[in-house]
Amino acid sequence: MPRISKGLEIEGTVLECLRNATFKVELENGHQVLAHISGKIRKNYIKILPFDRVLVELSPYDLTRGRIMYRYRN
Amino acid sequence: MNTVMINRVDEAQWQAVADEQIVGHGDVSQRPDGRLFVSIDVWQDEAFDPLADAMLGELPGAVLHTLVGGEDAELASRWQRAGFTVERREWEYLMPTRTEPAADRAEQAGENVTILPAGTADEQLLRALDRDVRAQVEAAVGWHTMPAELRPHAAEDTLIDPSLYAVAVLDGQYAGLIRVVSRGRRARIGLLAVRAELRRRGAGRALLRHALATLREAGIDTAWTEIDQSHTAATTLFEEFGARRTGHLVELVRRPH
Repeated sequence: MPRISKGLEIEGTVLECLRNATFKVELENGHQVLAHISGKIRKNYIKILPFDRVLVELSPYDLTRGRIMYRYRN
Repeated sequence: MNTVMINRVDEAQWQAVADEQIVGHGDVSQRPDGRLFVSIDVWQDEAFDPLADAMLGELPGAVLHTLVGGEDAELASRWQRAGFTVERREWEYLMPTRTEPAADRAEQAGENVTILPAGTADEQLLRALDRDVRAQVEAAVGWHTMPAELRPHAAEDTLIDPSLYAVAVLDGQYAGLIRVVSRGRRARIGLLAVRAELRRRGAGRALLRHALATLREAGIDTAWTEIDQSHTAATTLFEEFGARRTGHLVELVRRPH
């Protein structure tokens, strides 16, 4: 069975809310990415604010883009 | 990209795999009202259709709903390709707790309305009010056009937590209610409803003013809500209090043939 590479998930802090449910997130390694919210976050009406701690899955094709998979309770 | 393989990870999750990488996720979950909501996130456009095919094929006979950001026409189009149709559209609002409506509107806030703060209403009367307004909504536009129910409740008990509801009393009768949930610096107005025969007498406006004042006193600056775009009375009321649209959502549904 082939080895399946899991997407890279990393914690970060929301810096800024941009248009169209897009957020600028600073990852814990210091890099900044543009992240959309996941469908799971959207359908649960979870709101994201600046300074929120979030879990971001990075795109396997572009490490400057990601998707917010989870918002931690502060 | 090579052929996309779909794996069902558990009862509620699917993965799309291509080139030995996970390129998409699918998820299904049940709302407290029993409706099934699905979502799909992909990193490659080509992964969407096979993921949707697999999920829909393994959920036969189910009425499925999904939510898409109003700005994401491409995603809505993909769901429509999978057999979904647009059910409703709702605005997302962010409202400051410090804004008062213009003076002429403020006067309409119901002189004869008394507000019972959250946690002080008679529970039996509150439950009766909740049942009545839900029945009236169901007989008119239908409860499916109301804001999402996000907290679990028993099928016959829609009053999720009586302590969260403030009540408007008009002429001695429980006329309307508002439910606000706050946690930390977040607050969501989940429900504002007035008995049909007692509308246009300021109960809704008085309830909203009370809720915002309560949040303000608790140090919360803003609150969220969602309103069906067809509910012009509700959108007008909230906008009078300074609510601004931050986005909109499209709900799509797929019914079995």
